[in-house]
Amino acid sequence: MATRTLKTSILSLGRIHCHIYGVNVRNPLNRATYATALSINTSSQNKGFPDRGNRGPFNRRSRREAGDPRTDRMPVEQDWTAVYPTATPFRQGSVPLPVRMGFPVKKGVPPEKKGNLELIKIPNFLHLTPLAIKKHCEALKPFCTEWPSALDTGAKCDEHFPVKVESKDYVSAGTSLRNPSARIVHLRVSFCVNYDYAMYLLTVLYHESWKMEAWESEKTVADMEEYSWEDSPSQKNIMSTLVRMQVEGEGEAVREELLGRPEVQEYRDSVTRLKNEGESESSMHQYRDAVKKLLNL
Amino acid sequence: MALHRLSFRLRQTVAQVRPLHGSGCGQQQEAVGMELETRPETLSIFRTQENDPACQSEQHLGQYYTVPPSHFHTVFPHGLPPRYQQQVKTFNEGCVMVRQPALELISHLKRADYSKPTMRYLLYGVKGSGKTMSLCHTVHYCSTQGWLVLHIPDAHLWVKNCKELLPSSYHASRFDQPIQASNWLRNFRTTNEHFLSKIKLRQRYVWTKRESTEEGRPLGELVDMGVSRVKSSSDVVGAVLKELRLQAGGTEGGFRLAVAVDGVNGLWGRTTLKKEDKSPVAPEELTLVHNLRKMINNDWCGGAVIATLSQTGSLYAPSSAYLPQELLGEEGFDSMDPFVPVPVSLYSEKEFMYIFLYIFYFKGFSFAIEYKTKTHKQ
Repeated sequence: MATRTLKTSILSLGRIHCHIYGVNVRNPLNRATYATALSINTSSQNKGFPDRGNRGPFNRRSRREAGDPRTDRMPVEQDWTAVYPTATPFRQGSVPLPVRMGFPVKKGVPPEKKGNLELIKIPNFLHLTPLAIKKHCEALKPFCTEWPSALDTGAKCDEHFPVKVESKDYVSAGTSLRNPSARIVHLRVSFCVNYDYAMYLLTVLYHESWKMEAWESEKTVADMEEYSWEDSPSQKNIMSTLVRMQVEGEGEAVREELLGRPEVQEYRDSVTRLKNEGESESSMHQYRDAVKKLLNL
Repeated sequence: MALHRLSFRLRQTVAQVRPLHGSGCGQQQEAVGMELETRPETLSIFRTQENDPACQSEQHLGQYYTVPPSHFHTVFPHGLPPRYQQQVKTFNEGCVMVRQPALELISHLKRADYSKPTMRYLLYGVKGSGKTMSLCHTVHYCSTQGWLVLHIPDAHLWVKNCKELLPSSYHASRFDQPIQASNWLRNFRTTNEHFLSKIKLRQRYVWTKRESTEEGRPLGELVDMGVSRVKSSSDVVGAVLKELRLQAGGTEGGFRLAVAVDGVNGLWGRTTLKKEDKSPVAPEELTLVHNLRKMINNDWCGGAVIATLSQTGSLYAPSSAYLPQELLGEEGFDSMDPFVPVPVSLYSEKEFMYIFLYIFYFKGFSFAIEYKTKTHKQ
């Protein structure tokens, strides 16, 4: 008995979920629905009356069946720029190539393109075929001016425009936009044109660079391009250590004498190398030997 | 390399290992301490009987020596790496391999002149190369030679994960870490029990309006006070360090002081602690770090500073960094300079073979026999 009631309830559920051709009983406001593959019914009459057409327990709203992929209908001479006019994710039904991507599990092959998330995730350049770029150029042409006809050889360009500035931009997929190599800009000057003027300019620049501005005296240790051992904490440390290690006296003369010793020079070189060149095993070894010699180990 | 020779040696070992008497093992102890196994040392290629670090030399390179169980608790209450502690618990003995960096350090310590300013030694190497174990070996040497050992097991523990930060009563802008300080004092007390009554304080320390420690009192009293009164433990640590610094290498009743700091690069750099207004705490604003930095300077004499760098546990350091300047930073390097860097390399082939013999074959085999005997008895 319990089973019978269960059955009837299931059937009644089925009734509620049943789909009449073209119209969903659960959609009393008759909003736009999907048509089935079979036929499109003139829906207005049948609205209120659930027909037993597509009956069955748990019959969901039947979906429209997927058609053939577009690739089946693509001629060889088609206009690819119409298929991929802009940057769009990979659509396996629109790309007529048997592409495979992914890890071959269990000695198999990489998975095919159908349902392949990896192909969708990566950036693609399907919208930038040579033909597409040609079209872009054609579209940009009205906005460009003609190249001056007089500058037809490289030599003439160099003659009129001797100073060339070359900068590079880098594109990569990563966590940061920045690429330190992009900061390097090359400025090229060719001397074959007006040599005298060029020399005059360089002389002026040279002399100007020697002038010390007032604000330059505010340069701090952090601004220095290179490490200099004089007046560094390293020098102070080693001097105080050595002075304490010596038994006799203090004062400038002792300091000068200590600074002149070859071990101290070696130590100075090793520290400068460490700081300027960065660390490596060999520079560390050099530092080690210098310290050992200096402190009589 | 010599795997066929290895198998030959193993066959010899099999013939010589006897099954152990199960009752002799007793129960596994909870703590790191263990009983000494009275196993005949028939296989001696990877073991040496020379258990005193002072007498070890190049001929013992690669071999394991056993730390006597009586020393274990006192010398290493907190210094050993956790994996090694597990190993000790499993194998019921503490065996340390004699390796080149430790031997080099010990030879420096033997030959150094202790009337000159303190030498700083820095162990550096890639992750897992054995810096902490080399440090522990050196600490064992110092301990057997009667030095006073100040072992800070991991300086990074003082700059991160600190639940309680109290503003210091002694200095307005600094912060105290009571829990860390009292833990460290407790372990210091365990290690240096015999020194605590001998060293007398050289000045009077006032803690509160009613409490003070007078001049001439033994150091032990100060340490006990720090352990019991947790609030002022950071200042007690500072006072202890200052006293030791002043008195090390002194002519009357002088002792030698070994400052062993693991993860010394934690003292410079950044912390993950925040003040109440969410601004970050700089390391020099912590009392413990401030005082420890003073110990690492070479303005005192009569001892040595042995430090290791550590990337594991460090803050804001890239995982591939292992060279001194990378981990210490500019400030740290300038403070430690001049120091003797001691490189620690990964295992050589010979060392690896000895480990294999020790752990996988000898220990594994006899451990299996032990287990079998135990279960058989049951």
